[in-house]
Amino acid sequence: MAIEVPVEQVLMVAAGLFLLGLLGVLVRRNIIFLLMSLEVMMNAAGLAFIAAGAKWGAPDGQIMFMLILALAAAEVAVALGLVLQISRRFDTLDVDAASELNG
Amino acid sequence: MLEYLWLVPALPLVGFFVLFVTEGKLPDKLVGVIGAGSVGLAALVALGAGAEFVQSGEGSYAQSLWIWMAVGNFTPSITLYLDPLSLVMTGVITGVGFLIHLFATGYMWKDHEEPEGLSRFFAYMNLFVFAMLMLVLGDNLLVLFLGWEGVGLCSYLLIGFYHRDPENGYAARKAFVVTRVGDTLMAIGLFLLFRELGTLDIQTALGDTGQLDPGMATAIGLLLLGGAVGKSAQVPLQTWLPDAMAGPTPVSALIHAATMVTAGVYLIARMKGIYELAPVAQFAVAIVGLVTLLISSFTALTQTDIKRILAYSTMSQIGYMFMALGVGAWSAGIFHLMTHAFFKALLFLASGSVILALHHEQDIHKMGGLWRKLPVPFASMLIGSLALVALPLTSGFYSKDAILLTAWEHDTGRWFWAGGVLAAFMTALYTTRMMVVAFFGETKTEPDDASRINMWGPLVVLCVLSIAGGWMGIGVLDGLLGPLGEFSHTDPVAVTTVALPIFGVLLGWLVFSGRLDLSTLVASSFGDALRRFWQSGWAFDWVYDRLFVKPFLWVARVNKRDIVDLVFRITASVTRGFHHVGALTQTGRLRWYAANMAIGLIVVFLIVASV
Repeated sequence: MAIEVPVEQVLMVAAGLFLLGLLGVLVRRNIIFLLMSLEVMMNAAGLAFIAAGAKWGAPDGQIMFMLILALAAAEVAVALGLVLQISRRFDTLDVDAASELNG
Repeated sequence: MLEYLWLVPALPLVGFFVLFVTEGKLPDKLVGVIGAGSVGLAALVALGAGAEFVQSGEGSYAQSLWIWMAVGNFTPSITLYLDPLSLVMTGVITGVGFLIHLFATGYMWKDHEEPEGLSRFFAYMNLFVFAMLMLVLGDNLLVLFLGWEGVGLCSYLLIGFYHRDPENGYAARKAFVVTRVGDTLMAIGLFLLFRELGTLDIQTALGDTGQLDPGMATAIGLLLLGGAVGKSAQVPLQTWLPDAMAGPTPVSALIHAATMVTAGVYLIARMKGIYELAPVAQFAVAIVGLVTLLISSFTALTQTDIKRILAYSTMSQIGYMFMALGVGAWSAGIFHLMTHAFFKALLFLASGSVILALHHEQDIHKMGGLWRKLPVPFASMLIGSLALVALPLTSGFYSKDAILLTAWEHDTGRWFWAGGVLAAFMTALYTTRMMVVAFFGETKTEPDDASRINMWGPLVVLCVLSIAGGWMGIGVLDGLLGPLGEFSHTDPVAVTTVALPIFGVLLGWLVFSGRLDLSTLVASSFGDALRRFWQSGWAFDWVYDRLFVKPFLWVARVNKRDIVDLVFRITASVTRGFHHVGALTQTGRLRWYAANMAIGLIVVFLIVASV
């Protein structure tokens, strides 16, 4: 038996996840954790899409989630390349070390 | 040949282009052939065209080439206009110009300072001949002005030809700036003329002068006189000419004696119709001429550089021409222009031969005793001097007498006559001084004569012209330009006019060959002060230096950082300040950017929510 979950509650969870992710991006200095926080933020957005799609019974929300999954995969591929470069150049995973491009 | 008139200015222009685009890569011999040949061919065409023009008996011949530009009602055309006045000028420019070019092929050959500069020299010289021909042949005052500025440019380039010496560059700039003062006045005069008559075509404008009110005619006449004074080195804009002698000697002969400096005389003669309406302006022309010829003939007496003596002498002879135009002796003025071109070109070229033979020594006190060693230059100098002094039977005699005797018959002319005769006496004195000091007495520098036929050939031709130019003028110009006047040479005025120069020569001979000792007079404190005053050219340079140059330099020094530029400097520094503030936000920290994005997003949401 399917349990009806009100859409508001799902959106609250999504918002909570998003804030957690944002907090992670802002406070963590390790670039790996930063990327993980980004994934959390994207999943929060995906959850909101799913909930909205379920509410209106439309497939668009799930299609958007598929797109986000593809985007996340591409992002991770690029980001891991950056991580490799940063760790080789600066011998650390601290993003603040890569702050040479300043005014 | 008349239909080939356009070739006369076109040939030197082609010569200029060929020499200019090859950038001195042509062999020197070919450069000489092109440089002198283009002017020589132009002279031949001019001769043919002139002969046909005289035979045709027409008053004028116009050859329209094309419309320069068409702006509303203003459609100046490039039209060549041949009448007796421009025919005489064209003949002088191409004929004397060719002889000077020919002489220059020898004078500038393997030149001591600029051995590589032969091509550049002839390029400028050909450009000058082209511009001068446009000046005299142009039927439109705008074309005339084009030629006017063109000759000014060539004069500047050639005075500064020996550009390695900064002094010469200074002389060139001085000539350019001083004549620019006159050119500005002339340009204003042309603007006024265009506003009043709506055209710059010379013949149309002169036909319409009836529409001018006398005040406006006087203003235009005086403004054009300003231009003429600058170009022809008359008081008060005469100071550039002596310094212009920094250029090579053929340049002095062509530009600063025979042609360009007489452009002012041509301009006034050309605008005769305006001056006849404006007696005040015409009187001013005569006054300018009188003052210049007196001042410069006294100055010439004290100079020691042979070229500067000749430069001051040129100023005084042009003063005669201005005086002639001012007292209404129009054809006598142009006649003197022609004979002066012959004998002054001769004097300059002969002095050039002497200077070259003495390895660029120009001080007459270091010459001495040259008459036996440099016979051709000496004979040329002698004949040129005789014509300059206006001894009977030389060309200068006829033209100068025509001016002085016409002046005597003019209403207010007695003063002009007296001044002219006094200056003629001074001319005799300084010319004799130059000849005696440079060519007689003991030899101080051993000459080294290497002149060939291309150098002494032009001298011989000019010698003939300096003598025969007078009879030729009486015969030909009389018919062309109008009667020069009939003068009996028996009344006291005429006898005085003829006798004073002869007396001057005798006195000069006595004084400067040491037979009459005046050294105590010259050495007295008054004599010495007077000599120094004259030698400085009546202190004009000193006054202008105090009056214009020093204050201008002071302003330039005060305003070194350019007050007007302040606006732009302030704009630049404000922009730079904003840049620094903006650059502070670019820390390069990734998390700082993310936080800013988040804050920005929140702010946007809050704004949207509150609306």
